Amino acid sequence: MAEKFDNLEEHLEKFIENIRQLGIIVSDFQPSSQAGLNQKLNFMISGLQDIEKCRQQLHEINVPLEVFEYIDQGRNPQLYTKECLERALARNEQVKGKIDTLTKFKSLLVSELSKVFPEEMAKYKAIHGEDAPS
Amino acid sequence: MTEMFSTLFGSNEAQGPPGSSLGFGPGKPPPPMPQNQVAMAGQIPQQLGDEGPALRKPGAMNEPFYLLRELPGTVGNELTGNTNLITHYNLEHAYNKFCGKKVKEKLSNFLPELPGMIDCPGTQDGSSLRSLIDKPPVCGNSFSPLTGALLTGFRLHTGPLPEQYRLMHIQPPKKKSKHKHKHHRPQDPLPQETPSDSDPKKKKKKRDDDPDRKKKKKDKKKKKNRHSPDHPGLAGSQPNSNSLR
Repeated sequence: MAEKFDNLEEHLEKFIENIRQLGIIVSDFQPSSQAGLNQKLNFMISGLQDIEKCRQQLHEINVPLEVFEYIDQGRNPQLYTKECLERALARNEQVKGKIDTLTKFKSLLVSELSKVFPEEMAKYKAIHGEDAPS
Repeated sequence: MTEMFSTLFGSNEAQGPPGSSLGFGPGKPPPPMPQNQVAMAGQIPQQLGDEGPALRKPGAMNEPFYLLRELPGTVGNELTGNTNLITHYNLEHAYNKFCGKKVKEKLSNFLPELPGMIDCPGTQDGSSLRSLIDKPPVCGNSFSPLTGALLTGFRLHTGPLPEQYRLMHIQPPKKKSKHKHKHHRPQDPLPQETPSDSDPKKKKKKRDDDPDRKKKKKDKKKKKNRHSPDHPGLAGSQPNSNSLR
């Protein structure tokens, strides 16, 4: 799995470097640079061919759209991962708090009902006693 | 309240066989209740269809209770918020990596070797990923190398680019970090490179001579502007002029 990404990353880095060098040639063009420019243009096309070959290996990879928003804003996409983990943990803690509160409420309710309806609650505990959660 | 509780149980026992009160499956109508119990029935929610844990099997063992459901958490090992999901899915390492340390805000910290101004919003220069999703490019055509005839379209004017197009080489100033990373770039043979290229070694040297460098740049710009074909004062003064063929 990581190999597919490494392969694509390598091709992209070479492509970007080629484009950067192309920009340098064009920024101050000389007649003797023409051969180099032609070579770089063909490297660019072969780079695109290589990147397209990588596409087939990665067609099942899904990227959340929110990551694209981070990148478009010039923000680090790792912040999205960080925020996801923090939100998941916060929600986990919130739900655990609710479960704990309701468990305490249940035990209090059972104890109070046992005082008011002892016979009925004894029957209830007999039915649920085996599988009542602590 | 105690009277309503016991009378309700009493009315259920009088209605039919012991199991009928719990034969309240989907599609089966509720047993008819006496008129004095109608108001109470309105308050009790009707358990129709699949809602929550399964109903217990009808039987004398569940009396005087009806609609008794299995308690949640008792049927199998359900994954609830009670467990630490980060630990359950083995994400402690990822959590410590992203949330334990400070993650830098800018995109250039994630991609330090990418040239150009990547920290600017993509909407400013039309390079946003959102535009790529909204208007996807034409795909499916094959890439073929450029032939000699096609390459004639790429013969350029000599000389430097006008100021307005010189944006590619501008990179944000990289802050000096304690851990110096050695940039190993592939050293392809370049035909000619301007002194203002982005080689990292040359960049480091240039940063030291900032004030002198600025003066030299200004002088060079003045000289280039004098000798450029676009300069109004030099129309027809240059003996050799290469034009786009």
